[in-house]
Amino acid sequence: MSLLVAENIRKAFGSTLALDGASLTVEPGQVHGLIGSNGCGKSTLCKIAAGSVGADEGRLRFDGREGFFGTPAAAAAAGIAVFYQELSLIPDLDVAENIALGHEPRRRGMVDGAAIHREGARLLARFGSAGGKGLTPGALVRDLSADQRQIAEICKILARAPKLVIFDEATSSLDGDQVQIFFEIVRALREAGTGIIFISHRMDELFAICDRITVMRDGRTEATLPVAGTDREAVLTLMVGSALATRHRDEAPPRPGAPVLEVAGLSNAVLRDVSFTLHEGEILGLGGLHGQGQSAVLRAIFGADPATGSVRLGGTSQDRRSPAAAIRAGLGYVSGDRGVNGVFLDRPILENMAIASLSKSRAAVFRPRAFVERVGEIVARLNLRFAGYDFPLRTLSGGNQQKVVIARWLATGPRVLLLDDPTKGIDVEAKADLYAIIDELAAEGVAILLHSSEDEELLTTAHRVLVFGSGRIRADLAGEALTPTALYRAAYEVSAA
Amino acid sequence: MTEASAPAPEGRPPLRIRWALAFVVFAVFFAVNAWLQPSLLTARVLASNLTSFLPLVLVAIGQTYVVLAGDIDLSAGAIIALVNVSVVSLIEQAGGSGGAIALGLAAGIALGILCGLLNGLLVAVLRLQAIVTTFATSIVFGGIALWILPQAGGSVPQAYWRGYAGGLGPVKLTVILFLVALGTAILCSRMRWYRHLLAIGGNRLGAFQSGLAVTRQRVISYVLCGLFAALAALCLVGETASADPLLGPSFTLTSISAVVLGGTALAGGRGGVIGSILGALTLGLINNIVFFAKLPYVTQDLVKGLIILAALAGGILGARR
Repeated sequence: MSLLVAENIRKAFGSTLALDGASLTVEPGQVHGLIGSNGCGKSTLCKIAAGSVGADEGRLRFDGREGFFGTPAAAAAAGIAVFYQELSLIPDLDVAENIALGHEPRRRGMVDGAAIHREGARLLARFGSAGGKGLTPGALVRDLSADQRQIAEICKILARAPKLVIFDEATSSLDGDQVQIFFEIVRALREAGTGIIFISHRMDELFAICDRITVMRDGRTEATLPVAGTDREAVLTLMVGSALATRHRDEAPPRPGAPVLEVAGLSNAVLRDVSFTLHEGEILGLGGLHGQGQSAVLRAIFGADPATGSVRLGGTSQDRRSPAAAIRAGLGYVSGDRGVNGVFLDRPILENMAIASLSKSRAAVFRPRAFVERVGEIVARLNLRFAGYDFPLRTLSGGNQQKVVIARWLATGPRVLLLDDPTKGIDVEAKADLYAIIDELAAEGVAILLHSSEDEELLTTAHRVLVFGSGRIRADLAGEALTPTALYRAAYEVSAA
Repeated sequence: MTEASAPAPEGRPPLRIRWALAFVVFAVFFAVNAWLQPSLLTARVLASNLTSFLPLVLVAIGQTYVVLAGDIDLSAGAIIALVNVSVVSLIEQAGGSGGAIALGLAAGIALGILCGLLNGLLVAVLRLQAIVTTFATSIVFGGIALWILPQAGGSVPQAYWRGYAGGLGPVKLTVILFLVALGTAILCSRMRWYRHLLAIGGNRLGAFQSGLAVTRQRVISYVLCGLFAALAALCLVGETASADPLLGPSFTLTSISAVVLGGTALAGGRGGVIGSILGALTLGLINNIVFFAKLPYVTQDLVKGLIILAALAGGILGARR
């Protein structure tokens, strides 16, 4: 009998359909790989199995028990343990206490510290010296490095002796040796009859450890394949699907302009030695899996996050980077996270539009009427409609809010626009308007750096795409080489067949 | 470092003293106090000091549980006021007999628990913001206290305050109460729920995903805070032998100061009860020092404020070292 059966799961978050027709069957003693592009629903499906997210429709059976779990505690009690991508460790407890959290052994009603630490030491010993210096049962989690935290989270799962383990990106911070030890642990679990769901973006790891692979796309299960007799190309083809088979933009940039933005050796907590050149009138896309450094590059160039390395704008070196300096030098930054980055929902539309011009010009007096006259043309061009400049920004839809932010930057006459997933959460029509204006701006010579979490947007808009992985540029694709398959290949580290 | 760690021998948990720094600060002020007031080191003066610090120590213990879970209770002082006037009024109305005193004590404790339960339900179950909610309930509790007893007054029977001032043989009752509170706090810090409290304060989502009963634990911490505030109120009744609806409120921020002085992070998840007890004692010593330094009355508050600021800054800078 199968350990876990999830059938035709459907789940919507607001108006976004995260899952529709997602199915997964895991047998005891099976390592089951789960792969699919950003936002295809892998994590949501796992969270539903683990009781931390509810499902709208579908059926779940685990270990002979029919029905969805209401809470993580219920799923844990039934024998499901999850390695959460964002980790579930408590920073101010030590490693052993974290491993024992929720099922601490007791003696005479008191927590048995010695037993906790013996058990912690026993589990950590499986990683031997590969855990590195400082990974001891008594070390506080806040003092650990990223890989050591992942090891602690893995041990936390082992301590619960679960029937099913979901490893969601459990290897993302581990080095080669640590991954090998992790694989040994996974094999031991398989020997013991534990079912394992293994989510990874590293194709090599999937093929090294899994018995079967399920491919998901756009919230549904495409296929489940036995690893023996399957090759990487087959998996890749299923992931890409037919929708993206053609590239929509095939013309090259009208005329290669002069270099505007030269970035060399940019490094910080996320980035590793990022270098590239952006030309006048060029739309340069930043692609790859989520959070591989695309936003970090834009924020570092804009001076919002610290970084080492050089940024030259129009031949002038930008040494003391800050958003204020960047704005004066002719940069504009549009974020998809409007609420967090850059809008004032309760302030008037006028103020939201004028704010960047205010920090650029050093005029002591702001003259609203003159400003409105100046932006009138931009507003018309953006197809932006609102009841009045003094209405709070909150009264506009997400798409129109984003247009106000674009208008803000156009009012400063920028040379370079940094777009950080600008279409996140806005409607299709506003999206089309935004991309039309991006095209127009580029034709007028504005250089555009565009990060989008949707490959399709990059393919239809960008002249050239840099694919990011682990904070580095993995591929620079343009012209003939810029195909949907090439984007996937670079993002998932599949070498060309 | 707010905590001194020693490397663990094989298979033993490391010794982590989370209140080391708070103890150093306490020792410094104790020394200064002893220098200004040589009689401090006599058993009689020590015991009477402990008596006057006891209410704050109790509230600080209760407040610590709430703060550790990542919340805050701004109504602790108002609970003291409410319990204080309720107990005195109830004992008076019930006739002042021994039975009336027992009834008053029990009712006071129950009232404190009820107030804490209300806070806990509003904050953890209805998920209202802790600061605003407990600020609002503090006005409600304080308002009820004023309604019951518009101005200071009333009196409890002799048996109550005589008993509170008495003791077991040579040991004063207040000293025993202090030791019991200390012992209970230490015992609690080795219980499973206390560990879970730290986890919830340290990473609420992580604790939830680890299957901990987050909501229940947060409610319990508020109930404990209400309970300890009620105990503090009962001590105040013993000390003053009467009721005052305006006596409580200052305890709220003082208890939070004690918690912070004791090395507990206001963000939650870090610190402990013993530190808060030391913090409360330190605040009491600061009062003594300002008094015995023979400062003019009008400058006492200013100097006290500056010393507390210095103690806090010293603790924080020491922790950053």
